[in-house]
Amino acid sequence: MKDLAIETKDLTKDYGNGRGIFDLGLRIAEGEVFGFLGPNGAGKTTTIRLLMGLIHATRGSARIFGLDCDHDAVAVKRKVGYCPGELPQFGGWRGSEVVAYVAGLRGDVKDAAITAFAERLDLDLGRKYREYSHGNKQKLALILAFMHQPELVILDEPTTGLDPLVQQEFYGIVRDARTRGATIFISSHVLSEVEHVCDRVGIVREGHLATVSPLEDLVGMRAFRVEIDFADDVPVDRLKRVEGLDQLVVTDHRATGLLRGTFEPLMAAVAGTRVVGFTSREPSLEEIFLTYYR
Amino acid sequence: MLIRIALKQQTVGLIALALAGVLGGVLNALAFIQIAGTTPAERAAFAQQMTLLGAQLSYMLPVPVRIDTLSGYLEWRLFGFIVLVFAIWAAISGSGSGRGDEERGLVEQWLAAGVGRARYLITRVAVFAAIATVVIGAMQLSIFLSAGGEPLSAGELFAMGVNLLAATLCCYGIALVIAQLVTTRRAAGGIAAGLLIALFLINGAGRTADIGGVRWLSPFYLFERSRPLTEGGALDPVGIGTLLGAGVVLLAIGVVTFARRDLGGTALPGTSRESRGTRSPSRDPLLRLPVLGPLRQQRIWVAAWLVGFVALSASLISITRTIVDSLTSSEVPFMRAYFERAGLSVYDSFVGVIWLSTATLLLSVYAIIQVASWSADDAEGRLATILSAPVSHTRVILERLATLLVAVGLITAASSVAVYIVAAGQAITLDGGRVALAAALLLTIPFAFGAIGQFVSASRPRMAVVALSAVAVFSYFIQQFVPLFGWPDWVANLSLYTLYGTPMSGDIKWAGVAGLVGIGSVATAASLVALRRRDVGA
Repeated sequence: MKDLAIETKDLTKDYGNGRGIFDLGLRIAEGEVFGFLGPNGAGKTTTIRLLMGLIHATRGSARIFGLDCDHDAVAVKRKVGYCPGELPQFGGWRGSEVVAYVAGLRGDVKDAAITAFAERLDLDLGRKYREYSHGNKQKLALILAFMHQPELVILDEPTTGLDPLVQQEFYGIVRDARTRGATIFISSHVLSEVEHVCDRVGIVREGHLATVSPLEDLVGMRAFRVEIDFADDVPVDRLKRVEGLDQLVVTDHRATGLLRGTFEPLMAAVAGTRVVGFTSREPSLEEIFLTYYR
Repeated sequence: MLIRIALKQQTVGLIALALAGVLGGVLNALAFIQIAGTTPAERAAFAQQMTLLGAQLSYMLPVPVRIDTLSGYLEWRLFGFIVLVFAIWAAISGSGSGRGDEERGLVEQWLAAGVGRARYLITRVAVFAAIATVVIGAMQLSIFLSAGGEPLSAGELFAMGVNLLAATLCCYGIALVIAQLVTTRRAAGGIAAGLLIALFLINGAGRTADIGGVRWLSPFYLFERSRPLTEGGALDPVGIGTLLGAGVVLLAIGVVTFARRDLGGTALPGTSRESRGTRSPSRDPLLRLPVLGPLRQQRIWVAAWLVGFVALSASLISITRTIVDSLTSSEVPFMRAYFERAGLSVYDSFVGVIWLSTATLLLSVYAIIQVASWSADDAEGRLATILSAPVSHTRVILERLATLLVAVGLITAASSVAVYIVAAGQAITLDGGRVALAAALLLTIPFAFGAIGQFVSASRPRMAVVALSAVAVFSYFIQQFVPLFGWPDWVANLSLYTLYGTPMSGDIKWAGVAGLVGIGSVATAASLVALRRRDVGA
């Protein structure tokens, strides 16, 4: 097995009243792209801030490349790039000044790399930060996270505010980083975001890790969104009796539902009717995600 | 709801000003009762001494009148200076109402919720006026209750309160208008405070020299024209009328301008958003260097302070000869003897007193403003960005202090050169080495203030400015009241300003300087521990 990029043991940050993250155990290998999913307030950002050494754990430990995130924070950050979920405010600084200043703090950044990322993300660094739109601020934060070609990139809801074209460019940047061997940790509540790039996904719920699975395992759960168009009336009673068919909605001559298990009971139920349209697709991660939260 | 939020945002100012006002009022009233004596002879002697002191401080305080009475003493000693404190408060509040909320996106939320622009700003103005009324009322009431058997009527105090309120609202109007012309609260507050200090000094200069009609531009002159405590509650109709009129006009201009300009923009033409259109990082090498990087980003702010401080120092020194000559030409032998004993008949000593006492106060204000920006670094995510780079907490703490000291070093160096040159132009010979040493020792004041502020900022960022301002006010009052009450040296040494001493007028107080350095060092070490232990952004 590859060495671990991130390892947490019983990592806990307790803010009281059930808020925070509790007993988190994660093992993320080098070179992996890991999606960390959960709704707002589930503990994603808290976990990331613990990994970045910005806040201190109530108990447990977090290690990045074998280094303690709290005690070896400076050494850890030489290897890490970070895009925060809540963007900092740089007021009247120009984008070019922000990247130069942070590059000066890091000391290991090539100007050509900054320029390349600015071109890829189509960001004008000549503007003042306060004049940037939210999306442009997000682009700048992404440049700060990737510009030094870190071994590990930690991204907190990185596509917030990006338009679809730039989102595609972002996925390209993530894939390129993975190609050069970097590990990526992406938190999100938008499942389609991780669907594009992640190898494994962890789902966190109310401060507790609900599951960690390879993406294909989650996607391959035996559940399908089905949509059937009938030439005549919908055989509602027969459909209601189909084992594994949930969320049945009937409108005019159309029936939709979520089917778990095999198709045989459904096929038997519609046998003898005039089906003029039948579509079935794999559930989106949103739908899988919802099943964990129901 | 709008009123409640506006009130909440003014809570710190309300508490701080009410405390400062009440404390200042009560202590000054008690001080007078304590030191002025009770017999006519004692009162006459006290009046003579205070008249001497008043003459020395005429660049800051009004000329004392009926100083043998509590009314006259308060009018001179308390209200002559506290009007500047209220003016600075008004500058901070006015810039916050006119620009601060907008910077934080709150105005956009209000407007989106259907609140009209004029209604929004008028509400803020009204809340400020209400709070100022409460603060001034509390101060006047505390003075009235502390007056003991001294003759001091409620009507006189009420009139003075009205006068102070009018001056405060006028200064608030100035800040509100300035806030419409710039794009950041920092710029608005800085320009407004700088302008008000300049207007305060113009009024001070007008007391000792003929500066013509320029003095009418100063709200402090208009305030000073009324002497209700010594004139039986009478307000100067021209002074109070002009203050109120100017205040209303300025507030109206602020509201109308706010209603017409773009959110986030300025009311000035030709300030459209222009981009240099680049994909490259800045080539400025300073940005990538420790200390010089942050300093480079503050360059306009530091330059403004440097220019303002140099101008202030030069103006103070330029009136030195006039003031000292008028003091030493007194026909009262006692007065001449007093000045000679105090060393104030000597030009270079006088330079030391007025330059360094002003410098220590202003440099502590500079440090407080820096501490405010450090706290904002935390709240606005910049500290998290810095700590996301391979940068230790130690470097953050030390770099902040180093940046503060380099900036203050530049300001004091330029100021000391200006003092030396202007003094030479006045045919006043200064010991260059002593000027340089006094200027260098000035660094201990912002070091101590900055380190204490750093500690509070690292522990409780939201409390940093309030706590450090309390240290400054406490130090100021201690310095002022120790001689009056005859408190022991150890009490005097609780004031950071007292620890600095008067290095150009007497022996250098090395123990005090060491105390300041010690306080700064201990607070720096404590802030390192505090920043390491605290959660960033919490």
